[in-house]
Amino acid sequence: MLKLTKVSKVYEGKVAFRALTDIDLEIEKGEFVTIMGPSGSGKTTLLNIISTNDAPTTGKVEIEGENPHKLKKNDLAKFRRNELGFIFQDFNLMHTLTVEENIVLPLTLDGARVKEMKEKAHTIAESLGILSIMNNRTYEISGGQAQRVAIARAMIHDPKLLLADEPTGNLDSKASKDVMKMLVSINEKEKTSLLMVTHDPQAASYSDRVVFIRDGKLHSEIHRGESRQAFFQKIIDMLSLMGGDGNDFSSIRV
Amino acid sequence: MTFRQFAFNNVLRNKRLYIAYFFSSMFTVMVFFTFAIFAFHPAFSDGAINQNVLFGMAVAGGIIYVFSFFFVLYSMSSFLQSRKKEFGLLMMFGASNRQIRMMVFLENILIGFFATIGGILIGLVFAKGILLVAENVLIISESLDFYFPLLAIAVTFISFIVLFFCISVFVSFILRTKKLIDLIKGDKKSKGEPKASVILSILATILIIAGYGTALYVKGMQVVFAMVPVIVVVTLGTYLIFTQLSVYIIRRLKSNKSFFWMKTNMLLLSDLSFRMKDNARTFFMVAIISTVAFTAIGALYGFQSYLTKGIKESEPYTYQYIPWLNDSEEVMKEDVSKINSILQEENVEAKMEAMELNYFETSTSEELIVRASDYNRFVAFTKDRELHPGENEAIVVQPVEDALSGVSRSGEFLMESSFNLENGTEIQPSYIVESSVLASNGYYVVNDKTYEQLGSPVRNDWSVVWKAKEGQTDQQLIEAGRKLTEQVEHKAYSVDYQLFEINKAFGPILFIGLFIGIVFFVSAGSFLYFRLFTDLDEEKRKFRSIAKIGLTQSELNKVVNQQIAILFFSPIVVALIHGSVALTALSHMFNYDLTIESAFVLGSFALIQIIYFLIVRFFYVKQVKRMVF
Repeated sequence: MLKLTKVSKVYEGKVAFRALTDIDLEIEKGEFVTIMGPSGSGKTTLLNIISTNDAPTTGKVEIEGENPHKLKKNDLAKFRRNELGFIFQDFNLMHTLTVEENIVLPLTLDGARVKEMKEKAHTIAESLGILSIMNNRTYEISGGQAQRVAIARAMIHDPKLLLADEPTGNLDSKASKDVMKMLVSINEKEKTSLLMVTHDPQAASYSDRVVFIRDGKLHSEIHRGESRQAFFQKIIDMLSLMGGDGNDFSSIRV
Repeated sequence: MTFRQFAFNNVLRNKRLYIAYFFSSMFTVMVFFTFAIFAFHPAFSDGAINQNVLFGMAVAGGIIYVFSFFFVLYSMSSFLQSRKKEFGLLMMFGASNRQIRMMVFLENILIGFFATIGGILIGLVFAKGILLVAENVLIISESLDFYFPLLAIAVTFISFIVLFFCISVFVSFILRTKKLIDLIKGDKKSKGEPKASVILSILATILIIAGYGTALYVKGMQVVFAMVPVIVVVTLGTYLIFTQLSVYIIRRLKSNKSFFWMKTNMLLLSDLSFRMKDNARTFFMVAIISTVAFTAIGALYGFQSYLTKGIKESEPYTYQYIPWLNDSEEVMKEDVSKINSILQEENVEAKMEAMELNYFETSTSEELIVRASDYNRFVAFTKDRELHPGENEAIVVQPVEDALSGVSRSGEFLMESSFNLENGTEIQPSYIVESSVLASNGYYVVNDKTYEQLGSPVRNDWSVVWKAKEGQTDQQLIEAGRKLTEQVEHKAYSVDYQLFEINKAFGPILFIGLFIGIVFFVSAGSFLYFRLFTDLDEEKRKFRSIAKIGLTQSELNKVVNQQIAILFFSPIVVALIHGSVALTALSHMFNYDLTIESAFVLGSFALIQIIYFLIVRFFYVKQVKRMVF
């Protein structure tokens, strides 16, 4: 459903900087893929290109056979709104709105009917366990709750592809676990394709496949087998192989 | 890095943040300085301009200074508001309250010093311009040459250094530091919507309606007595409109889900209500300041037009001669021939008419009774209608009433009395007309035949009038008028010369009024600008995060447009309505139609505001877009 062919990104400047080199990546429908790599490896650049926030210098991005980078600005905004869902590290919620209003915002912008919005918000909030805070303001809720609200907002219009940028970066391990479980259940129930960028091997171990990039190039990828525990260990091993120390990532944590 | 260095570098290396505050301070200095250049002009100090005008200018200078104080204070506090987070951060590192106050104080002194110097420099550039404008508005014989305004510079510099010093002390004292968490979360937390009470909202409407009703209902001198209570009531009403009614309306709109959840309405309204506490205060202030500006300028302009046009209307003749009561016929003839020769000297072509005014005994006193044919001879010079009373009929003529000349309605009194003909017939006046044909307090006009039967007059008087032919320059008429007024003192009047004198006396008042009005209006504009740009960063962040989940440019445009339009136009519309009501009341007071003048003044302000809106919107949208897309 998502296909990247030979995507490169060069940042112009006094010294041109090559952030991504010839990335080929394909994600199937309903697949949950994590991109990992050390700081500065180009993970976020890649996510920005897929999320159409940034354009590739060369190469092609296709989402369900369509190249969103060819769309005009306004159509692109609509495309993002209708086809993609976003989850950010810092939640990106509007603090002038209540939780419920934040959730329905994408639909509101599209001019959906109030009754439909209410129903959808209710259903999704119920499944994410945030019904009790629907009328609260965003500064009155905790980080874990805020990320769940962000997930609800990202999911309310049933996007084809859900993009998550360090969704657990601001959360403690308990909240991280909850959020990841929710993403997995969404991925399984709704068959939404999921692409996540993270540093956190714990979070990565929930996905079907982890793609490692380093210095802007694809390094390797590993698939999840039966056991999440074993997958987690493999991720740790891979990370230490890529440059970090194995001890950096304590396996005792799980 | 010492603490002082830290405070200074904080300003110097963070120019963008301080620039708005700096500019508004500089603008204030500039305004005061330009006014000072004008007020301290050498042409005024040598006594050519009368003492009252100088006093007026001193008062105006005082008003501008006091206003500057509040303006800078307001800019300052809104500027500090936007820096809450920074203070929070500093305090978290262990800065004491005293240190933060010290920092704010140093910053202010630094900014104030440069703003004062900058304002004076820019003022110098505009000095010639303002003097040229002054020269044209003021009718003064001396020309206001450019001069190097040492005194003005000194006065401005000292005044504003003192002002900034006071404000720095003041601000650093009122900078109450709340809980640290409030400071750090400052920009995220709403200051809370003001509570909207239905009763107060209704009260707001009632107050405004009552105020307007009274203002529109009263006539003549009543306006003066009604003025203060109406101003108080309307000001209170305006405050309640913005703090209560508007909040109430927004709440209603918000609770109406099908409206609130429609497209971009949610973004717009949630933002409005989020900032309502700040907005309400700004709106109220801008509305009141603009009302003062509109009304002051409208009133001055209307007053001038009333004085000039009104006098021209109530004085239909170019020149008029009224002898003293006991002047003999010889003196009078001499005067008239003197006037005629002056007119000839000045090449003024004018038609002359003379009338003997005879006073007869009536049932109550002695009154002037005029022959219809005499009246109609004079009417030919004016725009009034001829009168043709029937036999044994008398028509009462009273002057057009206005508040300025203080003429009371003498017509009613004349209507109640009657007079007898020689044959004993008692004549009751039939009706009253208003006209300005004779400069008299009220009189009867009767049929020529009836007039013959009146008997002998108690006393008599004369009135001689001249009407200049069309197409002669005002200069000629004024010059002739000046000579007449000088040489035939207190007996000859010239409308044009009188107007010239009025304009000359009125010029400085008009100029000062315009100046202060414009200062108020421009500051109202910068209040709005401040309101807008204090929240700019916040807005950018907001729009960027919405854009990430998908917001088209046209939607962004729409929200931003609506937001700025509400900010710019809601207080101004209120002010325009206030202003038009006030000017209507004023026109009732003078019994003089000010529609054209009001429309002109209010229209030009509305136009300026629209242009201002378009400019600000352009830059604002550009700023937001650059950040978002």
